[in-house]
Amino acid sequence: MLPSFDAFGFLVSWGTFLGIYAILAVSLNLEVGLTGMANFGKVAFYGIGAYLAASLSVYAVLAVYHVAAAPYTTEGIIALGKYGGASPALDLGIFAASLVLGFIIAGCVGYLLTYPTLRVGPAFLGITLLAFGELLRIFLLNYQPLGASKGLSGIPHPFLWIPDPVLRERLYVLVVLGFLAVTLWFAERITNSPFGRVLKAVRDDEVAALCMGKHVPRVKATVLFIGSGMAGVAGVLLAFYMSSVNPNMFVPAVTFNIWAMVILGGMGNNKGAVVGAAIITFVDRILTFITPNLGITIITPDYVRWMIVGILIVLVLMFMPGGLVPEKPIKTPAWEAVESLEKESKEGGSGGDEA
Amino acid sequence: MTKPILEVKDLAKYFGGVKALDGVTLEVPERGVIGLIGPNGSGKTTLFNVVTGFYVPTRGEVWYAGERIDGLNPNEVFLKGLVRTFQIPRLFPSLTVLENVLLTPPRQVGERVLTAPFRSKWEEQEKELARKAVALLRKFGLGEYVRARVSELSAAHMKMIETIRGLITDARVYLLDEPAAGVAYTTARELFTFIRRLRDEEGLTFFIIEHRLEVLMDFVDYVYVLHNGRLLSEGKPDEVMSDPKVIEAYIGR
Repeated sequence: MLPSFDAFGFLVSWGTFLGIYAILAVSLNLEVGLTGMANFGKVAFYGIGAYLAASLSVYAVLAVYHVAAAPYTTEGIIALGKYGGASPALDLGIFAASLVLGFIIAGCVGYLLTYPTLRVGPAFLGITLLAFGELLRIFLLNYQPLGASKGLSGIPHPFLWIPDPVLRERLYVLVVLGFLAVTLWFAERITNSPFGRVLKAVRDDEVAALCMGKHVPRVKATVLFIGSGMAGVAGVLLAFYMSSVNPNMFVPAVTFNIWAMVILGGMGNNKGAVVGAAIITFVDRILTFITPNLGITIITPDYVRWMIVGILIVLVLMFMPGGLVPEKPIKTPAWEAVESLEKESKEGGSGGDEA
Repeated sequence: MTKPILEVKDLAKYFGGVKALDGVTLEVPERGVIGLIGPNGSGKTTLFNVVTGFYVPTRGEVWYAGERIDGLNPNEVFLKGLVRTFQIPRLFPSLTVLENVLLTPPRQVGERVLTAPFRSKWEEQEKELARKAVALLRKFGLGEYVRARVSELSAAHMKMIETIRGLITDARVYLLDEPAAGVAYTTARELFTFIRRLRDEEGLTFFIIEHRLEVLMDFVDYVYVLHNGRLLSEGKPDEVMSDPKVIEAYIGR
């Protein structure tokens, strides 16, 4: 039917986007699903990670090879192409440094930016973050050292020294999915812990949580640090995959796309966030892969994608209001202790009846 | 009376020109069950809000167990050992009854984000707290609700759990805002019997706002009456109830 459809290539491409977006969705779920903080500026932290990776890598490569040209000039881009894959150690080192710095810097920005707004209620937090995301994009659009509207390109892929591009992509998807696995593991562990219990308490009733001795502003700032840091890592992974970044990759629609994933998958469930991300990135990728083969030019895949996402959300919310994978109760060892107590008292009780 | 555990000295709280509290001095003795009454708008809840750290007083001091606590945040006041409940019970609806109790103990190892992912670091503490919580719920006849969601409980049970969950900590003073509001007369009497039992068995201190005087007066040792942000009267229940100033404030001229 579709002779030029490369199934394995599709899986690799989908897997990479799934991994990146699932990290974003899990991090948003920690913020909004578990803690009840409406983060409408998720894209800002994603963008910070991506731009950090991009600028760090292009400036580092040019500096190491003593190229005087700026990375956004033609000479700079040519030099980046020439030296990009020359040293595996440099490429991998830049990648590792970007990941660490991406997490820390995006996390710190999230922490600092949101701390003063935490006391004024969830709507203000959401609007402040939304505005920050747009301000950041407009700043990048006009800031020459980061390429302004053209952005930065020639970001050296961490496996650029491997000659076979297919192998490179396959290795990269494993790295991305590895980061997703770590993110999901961490999110699941903190959800099912006394810390997760505090998060849900803050979501349910902030004032009551405060009255129970919980330092609510600190809890929220902590979650925003972690969530923003995770988004930063996703941005780093995106920058190295795309090999270029530009400001218009980070429009508010990206944030709402991530929200759609969380709503679709199930608010308050980390696995649900991954399921939501998988569905939406699947729709996105399959349209991108199929459309060229269909020869349709009237409707671009972009419009179709938004329509499909809209219909999916309406259907899910109508028939499964909790999402595809609804929130589950917290599982901590407390329940094991309760079960053994209940067993004891049952045995004791039946013994009493016999006597 | 025994020595006071909670003392309020010349406490005032102004909201612009409104003097919600205007120089209130009172004390709550250890192991006392003390009432706080007054017409609507007399400043009772404002007093609770200042004592529990929601408001910074305009003037005056709050002392708890020999320590000055005014100006602390609500979470810090709780950590000192003061528990506050609300007129409408504020339990956490997405948590079970057990988890509502388990949330209370302060400074749990597993509540820190860096230790939370590593179960072995907090597993023992968590199990120990769970055993304590179950024992506590059973002791007060709520053992069957351990797994229940808060939404499945009656109002009276919610109010009981709001108080019981403080028992898992070493909190000693409970500020209850209208515990008998919204429950039937007999249930209200049961709740106050329960409060007396907690005082007798656990040595707790209660400071209670209540509008249902017919219930309150049978159970408290001492009553303070607020009116327009000032202390109007105080004394044993029958003394207060026969005070003409109190009758006038309640019934009006």
